[in-house]
Formats: sequence, C-alpha cells, structure tokens
Amino acid sequence: MAEPVADLGPELDPRVFDSEEFQRDPFPVYKQLRDYHPVYHDRFHNRWILSRYWDVDGAFQDNESYDRAMYKPDGPYDFGSSHVFGPNILEYGNSDEHRRLRNIVAGQFVGQKLNDFLPMIDQISNEVIDRFIDDGEVEIVSQFSSQVPIRVISNMLGLPREDEDTFVQWYQYLIAGLGFGGEHLARGLKARNDMWDYIDPMIEERTKNPGEDLLSRICVAEMNGTRMTPEEVKGFVALLLAAGGDTTDKAIANMWYHLMYTRPDQYADVVAESSLWENVFTEMMRYDPVVHAQFRFTTREIPVHGKVIPERAGVILYLGAGNRDERAFENPDTFDIHRDDLHMGRENRSGRYKDGKNGHLGFGIGQHFCMGYAMARQEAAIACKLLAERVKNLRPKFAEHVGITAPSIDSGGFRAPAELWLEFDR
Amino acid sequence: MKVVIDKDKCYKSGECYYNHPELFKMDDEGFPQVLVDELNDATLVQHAEEAREVCPAVAISIVE
Repeated sequence: MAEPVADLGPELDPRVFDSEEFQRDPFPVYKQLRDYHPVYHDRFHNRWILSRYWDVDGAFQDNESYDRAMYKPDGPYDFGSSHVFGPNILEYGNSDEHRRLRNIVAGQFVGQKLNDFLPMIDQISNEVIDRFIDDGEVEIVSQFSSQVPIRVISNMLGLPREDEDTFVQWYQYLIAGLGFGGEHLARGLKARNDMWDYIDPMIEERTKNPGEDLLSRICVAEMNGTRMTPEEVKGFVALLLAAGGDTTDKAIANMWYHLMYTRPDQYADVVAESSLWENVFTEMMRYDPVVHAQFRFTTREIPVHGKVIPERAGVILYLGAGNRDERAFENPDTFDIHRDDLHMGRENRSGRYKDGKNGHLGFGIGQHFCMGYAMARQEAAIACKLLAERVKNLRPKFAEHVGITAPSIDSGGFRAPAELWLEFDR
Repeated sequence: MKVVIDKDKCYKSGECYYNHPELFKMDDEGFPQVLVDELNDATLVQHAEEAREVCPAVAISIVE
C-alpha cells in the first residue's frame, strides 16, 4: 500500500529538483507538475518538463518534434568520443544510423533467440542462490540482484567466466560515468578503455571464427549488407554490460523491496502462483521504475496545453510521473500486482495493446524503446521465481527500511534500494 | 507489389512503423497503416521485405 500523495499546491520552486527530498520521494512534486504545471518551464535549469501520461507518451511517439540526439549526425561532433560507452546507439537520434545499428542487434534479445538463453538464466540464478542458501539470510542487492544480470550477459556474450568479477567492477564504473561528475566520467572512460583492450582480440578472433555466442553474432550480423565496425561492436558490448546489467539488477531489487515492504500481503499470492512474477515486474515498472526520466530536444516550436515549447529546447519526459497519472490509472499510488487497468503482459514499442489497457512507460515508447525489454522481464521473473521457490518464509530482516534511495551521480540516476536484507527458512 | 497487414495476427508491436516510417505509420489504434500503395522501387521492396522478416507477429505479407 502507499501513503496518499500530498497536494503541494501550485507554488513550485525549481530548486526542489536538486533537493535530497525530491530525490528520495519525487512523487508529490510529480503530482504538483501534473496537476498545476502540465508544461513546466524550469527557468532555473533552463529546461521544460512534461509529466502527464499522455503527454509523455505523445512526446515519445512524435519523432518529428522531439529528437533524442544532442548533435546532428552530419555535424562536426565525433560520435562516441566523449561517451563512456564509445560509439553506441544511445547518442544517435532518429537517424538512419540509429535505425541501422539498432536493427543489427535488436533481434538478438527477443523471440527464439532469447528462448535459447533461458536455461542458462536458470542455471546462473541457481548458482547465485547456492552461494547464500545455507546462510538463512541474504542481502538482496549485493548477493543476488547485482550478481545475476551481469553474469547472464557476459555468459551470453561468451566472455570467460573467471573474469566475471572484473566485469562487475567495469560496469559499475561505466554506469557511474553516465552521471554528471567529472571524476566519474574520467573513471568510466578508463574502465571503457581497459575493457576495450580486453575485448579487442576477442572481436578479431570471433569475426574470423564466429561461434554461437552473442559477441560472435554481433560481430558478423548484417543489415543491408553491412556489419558493425569493431568500434561499434565495442560500444555495443559496453552498452550491454552496463545498461543491460545495471538496470535489470536494480529492477530485481525494486521488485523485492515492494513485495517485502510495500505489499507483503501480495507476496503470498506470488508464492501460490509463480506466473504472477510477471505482474510484479510490470507493476514495479509502473509504480517506481529504475529510470524515471528521459531527455529530448525539440526540433520545432511545440504548442502544448496553451504554452509553446521553443525550438532546440531541452525537455524532460518524466515517465515516473506519467506512470502515476490519475488520468491513466485508478489509484495510481497503490502498488497492486492484480491491477486490472494496466497491460500486464509483454510490452510493445508502440505502447498500444489489444486488451485496450494502458501500458507502463518504464521502458520508454517508440523509436528509442528499450531494446532489452524482453530479456529484462525474463531475467527478473526467472531469478525471482527461483529464489522464492527454493526458500520458505522469506521475510524482511528489519522491520523498518529507508526505502528506494535517491538516484545519485554514483548510481547514474537510477532508482533502487541501497540494501535489502531478507531472512528465510529452508 | 503491395504490403498487406493481417490485423488479427498483428499485436501492435510497432516494429514496422518505427523501423520503416517511409512505408508504415501508426494509426489511432496502434495498428500499422501502409503508406505506399504500390512498391514500385527496389529500395521500397527491400524495406518491405525487412519489415516482413522482423515482424514478431508474422502479420506482414507482400503480394503481387
């Protein structure tokens, strides 16, 4: 259950966005934005903010008006040069280059290709659980959620298993480098260069003698007769390890936090019916997803709700706020895995569903919709289901919890609990 | 040659219209709307074939 979200009234001081209070609990400010400032011009940070469900959805859908890229594809900027991942699709907007790179790899994480990896996700989850199953307690973040996705991805890529601990270190530096601090960026870029040196000979080898692993597939995948350059392959591996590892890691932790502290009554339902893990995933992605904001730049003057956002303005799409919009969901501040006004199954890039229900905005929508959406869902559901099946009477170790913690520079702006101690019987 | 969408099979994944906006656009319900009546150039045919390949619902066909 949730506390009712307070009505703060129309007065909004933009410095609130820098406050610890907002970082910890952004939802009252989100409500204030939706109710009183559906188009908010934040003059202090020189940006505009959209927060209602259909406005966020509309901006995600409207590629003509909202571009993700900071730079033009044909301009002087050297793509990848100052990004922790190197050349990768995150820097490209709605260009042909983005479409080409995305199409080469997008098919690797869905459908039969994903199904082929499911037994391995099972095996890795069980190995991770084996390490603490005799302890009677587990700190979910460090011992479980952060251990599964990175091992799954490095295994999919066919990287040596003995180096897994090194990959965990690299991806934590890479993710920190996505934040805003100079030293974090410097450390992230160094981790990137170390990783590239490590992976260079593997790319060369697998391009010559490709195997069944994902790295080989990326090296030799063709779209319109072209392959990725070695630099693009490396950028993609960095993206996979960091974005794919870290976000899924935090998603799993958020699921457990909400089941243990927000809705312990519904944990019993999930134990009785394990297919409900997919609902837990979906409702977590709505109620408090790992990523709350996406950024866009306007390509023209855009009239919205009686205001005009100017051309080349920076716009924040608060998907975390859209997900709590009373205009889209009933009792939006209640965490409920049985919610009947949310599309519970697999997500679509279009955000439109045949059951007529609204989907969550947690993966974005449209051109830049999360590519790993199906994999994240499967990994989270499988790992959580196995843990719940292998122990009995799983419960919080401490009655109180500080809650989902502030996104900080160190966490790349992603939301998750810092620690989550649980106890269990065998 | 024409592109045909089977709306019973289509589950509105969006793959066709986000990858090939020159050929498809999303209608008000989320289904793809085909923008080109006749595939009269080799690039369009190639794009239509790509869209057919990647459609997760196997809802796209190309007919003479």
